[in-house]
Amino acid sequence: MSVSTGLKALTRREVLRFVRRPYNTFLPPFITNVLYFSVFGVILGERISEVGGVPYIQFILPGLAVLGAVSNAFENASFSIFHGRWNEYIDEALTSPLAYWEMVVAYVVSSALRGVLIGVLVAVIGALFTPVRSLANPLYAVAFLAVITTLFAGFGVIGGLAAEDWDHLTVLNQFILRPLVFFGGVFYSLDALTGVARTASYLNPMVYMVNGVRYGVIGVSDIDPDAALVVLTGLTAAVLAVDVWLFRRGYGLTD
Amino acid sequence: MPPAIHTDDLVKEYGDVRALDGLSLSVPEGSFFGLLGPNGAGKTTFIETLVGLVRKTSGTAEVFGHDVEDDYREARDAIGLAPQEFNVDRFFPIREVLMHKAGYHGVPDEEAAERAADALETVGLGGKAETRFDWLSGGMKRRFMLARAMVTDPDLLILDEPTAGVDVELRHDLWDVISGLNDDGTTVLLTTHYIEEAERLCDEVAIIDSGRKVTVATPDDLTERGTDEVTLTLEAAPAAVPAVDDERVDGVAVDGRTVTLRASSGSEVVPVAVRQLEAAGHRVLDVDVARTSLEDVFVDVTRTGGEATDGSRGRHDDEEAQEVAP
Repeated sequence: MSVSTGLKALTRREVLRFVRRPYNTFLPPFITNVLYFSVFGVILGERISEVGGVPYIQFILPGLAVLGAVSNAFENASFSIFHGRWNEYIDEALTSPLAYWEMVVAYVVSSALRGVLIGVLVAVIGALFTPVRSLANPLYAVAFLAVITTLFAGFGVIGGLAAEDWDHLTVLNQFILRPLVFFGGVFYSLDALTGVARTASYLNPMVYMVNGVRYGVIGVSDIDPDAALVVLTGLTAAVLAVDVWLFRRGYGLTD
Repeated sequence: MPPAIHTDDLVKEYGDVRALDGLSLSVPEGSFFGLLGPNGAGKTTFIETLVGLVRKTSGTAEVFGHDVEDDYREARDAIGLAPQEFNVDRFFPIREVLMHKAGYHGVPDEEAAERAADALETVGLGGKAETRFDWLSGGMKRRFMLARAMVTDPDLLILDEPTAGVDVELRHDLWDVISGLNDDGTTVLLTTHYIEEAERLCDEVAIIDSGRKVTVATPDDLTERGTDEVTLTLEAAPAAVPAVDDERVDGVAVDGRTVTLRASSGSEVVPVAVRQLEAAGHRVLDVDVARTSLEDVFVDVTRTGGEATDGSRGRHDDEEAQEVAP
């Protein structure tokens, strides 16, 4: 199947939008993660014994990569769509002959790409602090990173369509996404939890994402990575189908 | 060939409000079609229904035979839209905005770049290609809206108040560009509050009000339907309102020595009126005919709901004048 010129044009527009603004897109996660690795990895990490058989700083590295990747994938899609709605220039695409699924693919692919780039950036920063010179399961690392950034880009599309004000975007990111990530096992192993806390953690999709990427990077995981990958892939397909349905209905876009 | 636009019993409801109330309209291919109506008449809703920014409640809407919802890709590909509001991508220089828009319509990169440059030159913005939209002056922004509508080489150009707020010189420049496109075969749908614009440019005009079509006609036909004002100055004031017996005369008023007739085809009524007044013993010293304008007709039909031929012409007669039907 060849990619249409229209789809390529909208995808390129979306990619250029964030690539040309590195101070907004790449610099903040760079600084934030240098601080994370310095404080949690080096200063506090030296006082924490190994987790899952690896130094603490190596243990948190995949989780921080996931945190950066999904946050940016979500933010990119939700911001771009909402900003376009707010200033009505999303009409440029909506009044074009692009198919609804093409519009969704363009927003999702570009946002997932930003998520992947930030995830890789975080991993590179982490590698400067700790000797991770090769990936334990590279295919898993790539597959999980691709799936979770696509999934969160898909969620971002819904957020961008549903938001009616800038505050709504902040709520989605700060009060829903970020707590899920922090309670998703970025900074601790599920072995540290017992009872209800441990059981509840299995309901948090971030647990599967963080552990999946962790398995790909350092070969350590609290869950079965194959099952996690299948479930997350299915969830991603479902979210993308919802995205296309919302565009077709004109939810947040027409009237 | 199907018409450029065809709607049948088109309805759009927003809750209890009917923005379009059974609008049926046909715009011939290649025509320069004006859409007039007061604020809130439904003009923008109609346009947004065609381009997919508004979902119709019921009825049909087609662009060159393509249903705007079932065949939305074909319908939208045929349309170039210059909306009233400045809904332009602020992240990129205007040259790239045009390239993106052309790209969305399937125009390859190289050709998109050429079209963007051509469109900017056509509207006189060639020197501003690398400027962002926000940094353009108001007039330049209006020019750019037209360039963006043109860059996809549409078969149907929809212009929603394209000259709103621009000076006379720029308005004439934009008219020249739009007329040129129409001469080359592009169908143009124009909404405007400048009646002169519709009178000067349009082959045909539809007047809509409250989401309904009031009338469709050529500007000449519409002005013909209006009521002219014929003013006759007599040597002496008449003792009573003189009778002028002609079916085209709608009313006679007297104010001192001045007799005012309201009549269709005022110029043709003049010799009849003069003859009858002089036969009745009055001496006519001067005659003046004020032709109705499209603006008068517009005001008239949107106020009376379409009874232009029977209604008043929208000017208020002197309250002191006596008035009788002929």
